[in-house]
Amino acid sequence: MSLILSQVINAVMLGCTYSLIAIGFSLFFGVMDVVVFSAGDVAIFGAFSIMALATMTGLQPVLDAILPHYVTVFLLVSLGAASTALLMLLIYRLVIKPFEGKSPLMPLLSTIAAGIALSELIGIFYPQGRNPQAFPQLLPNDVLFPGIMMSERNIIIILATILLVTVLYWFVNKTKMGLSIQAVSQNKEAAIMVGVNWQRSVTTTFLVGGLILGIGGFLVASYFNIVRFDMGSMYGLKGFSAAVVGGLGSIYGGIVGGMLIAFIEVFVSAFIPGGTAYASIAAFLTVVVFILFRPEGIIGEKTVEKV
Amino acid sequence: MPKTALFSNTLVIAILVSFTGCMLLYIALVGPLIAALAVLVLVLGLMVTAERTGKVEPVYHAVEDHKGISLAVIILFVLALPFVLSNNYLLHVAVMGGIYSIVTLGLNFQVGSTGMVNFATAAFFGTGAYTSALLATKFGLSPWFTTVAGVVAAASLGLVFGYPALKTRGYYLSLVTIALQVIFTLMIINTSWLGGPNGIPGIPAYSLGGTSFRLPLAIFGMELPYQANYLYLVFILLGLALMAASRLHNSRTGLAWNAIEQDEIVAVTQGINLTKLKLLAFALGAAFAGLAGGLYGHYTSFIGVEDFDFSKSLVFICMVLLGGMDNAIGVVLGALLLTIVDEKLRDFADYRMLMYSVILIIILLSRPQGLLPKRIRRYQAAKSAGEAKVQL
Repeated sequence: MSLILSQVINAVMLGCTYSLIAIGFSLFFGVMDVVVFSAGDVAIFGAFSIMALATMTGLQPVLDAILPHYVTVFLLVSLGAASTALLMLLIYRLVIKPFEGKSPLMPLLSTIAAGIALSELIGIFYPQGRNPQAFPQLLPNDVLFPGIMMSERNIIIILATILLVTVLYWFVNKTKMGLSIQAVSQNKEAAIMVGVNWQRSVTTTFLVGGLILGIGGFLVASYFNIVRFDMGSMYGLKGFSAAVVGGLGSIYGGIVGGMLIAFIEVFVSAFIPGGTAYASIAAFLTVVVFILFRPEGIIGEKTVEKV
Repeated sequence: MPKTALFSNTLVIAILVSFTGCMLLYIALVGPLIAALAVLVLVLGLMVTAERTGKVEPVYHAVEDHKGISLAVIILFVLALPFVLSNNYLLHVAVMGGIYSIVTLGLNFQVGSTGMVNFATAAFFGTGAYTSALLATKFGLSPWFTTVAGVVAAASLGLVFGYPALKTRGYYLSLVTIALQVIFTLMIINTSWLGGPNGIPGIPAYSLGGTSFRLPLAIFGMELPYQANYLYLVFILLGLALMAASRLHNSRTGLAWNAIEQDEIVAVTQGINLTKLKLLAFALGAAFAGLAGGLYGHYTSFIGVEDFDFSKSLVFICMVLLGGMDNAIGVVLGALLLTIVDEKLRDFADYRMLMYSVILIIILLSRPQGLLPKRIRRYQAAKSAGEAKVQL
């Protein structure tokens, strides 16, 4: 029983990290109808930048001396997330904006290429970039309930995700900018006609998405304790699978999809002999099945193509 | 255009174009990285100038009117290559270029003609390679037979992967192919009888009449390195593949594929059988890739899973994009040039994938139609009395 419970907690945590990336995918897809494949690599860039801030600048000890530790962590994570937000904006300007109005395959290819370029740049320019890096233990890891191996870190990851999603929900539904973003993703022309500043909405979406991806990357790195320059592509693929399974374009869909994929992975890995190898395969098979038979995902609505 | 003299203008143009093409490739092959990049830029410049001055189609017509001579030049060039190259390594690069060209011709059916961007090409390439290698090493069958088996296996996988193509559109299709490609790689890594992460060593070479292809070729009193055997084999097959591709392009099948790319629904209303044609594109493209895979395995005698992963698929797409979508010669040119540049970049191994991604972005931004863009088909009325040439 306690084994199942600890696996469930594992799955929930993993699901939280996938959900954040899936939410990023859904945000970008909703507002621009484009799948931004570099999301995973951007998230890992976030993890790297937080790591760089924590270990390479002298910032952490200085802040630790004057502020409580958790405030320091909060500040570092915010700085890292801000950098990913800006990076996301840069990617938008460079490889997505030029293809506006053209076939959606071009930004797909260009974002894949951008993601690869990003991870390669990290590998080349970060000191020892090609080797796996031990991620600094910024989150406390005391075990709270020894029976089910639940530590403070698990709780923090889950709580952080809940908090982030709640803030996002408030932003998207209760602020003017958030409502503009919804309007643009529902119907771009109609939104422009009622006076929504389309360009500003898109820019904001990419900034917000970048922020979420940065935090997601930090949580993933804290969960696994190591970070590698090429983790981004696998993580991005899983996040994308989660977004599609849940429903591309829907924030709740991202959460549902993230949890589903995580549960499939964790349970295949735990309860099928030799399963760890097949966990990822199971996750990808799930997304293939969904794209074939229910492309709108669990939450999405079926779109009818007009001739 | 009536041919009045033996050495008409068009004949000269045809010979000139084929010869220059071969020479440029040769320069790219034997020169340093700068030379290869310069050739790339030069070809781009020539194409852009030709497009501006409206000379592209006349040159194409010239080459096509004198197909025989142009081919003869190219064949002579390929035959002479092993004699002229001083370096086994460069010969190896040429062989790899030929192998990848076959793959890209297959991918072109899916991406260029039908508009289905397929990220699983490396899986087809790998299926051909693994099937052929496993049958040859574990069951001791003749490499010729196992290569054919590899083609069949790859084509079958093409059908399997093509099934989602029937149900999805646009980039959902691409996303499914990405997932399938990743599943393929993971399955190989995790299955030990498929070699697992260690790959399959000791794949036998082809042999003809008792002599193995791994032995140096003794001709005209000279001894050529063993790569020459493979060079001739690969380029013969490449020639056949090119013929097939060009025939398909000019047939109703090619037209139907293009119709599907432009507008599926209109194509269906015109009576085009989507299922048959999409599956054909996938199966045929996969067959080409499988053939190349079999050749690859028996050439390098060792295959490992890292040769058949998602980044390899991306490289193939790069080649098609660079060369020119739906243009068979363009695609081969793209494959050859990119293989050469890739080998030259081996000195900067760290920057390889970075280079590919940057090239891809630059091509997409500046010239998505590639070096040799897609052409309008050229039809001629029967050569009866009067010279009515109908250009469609």
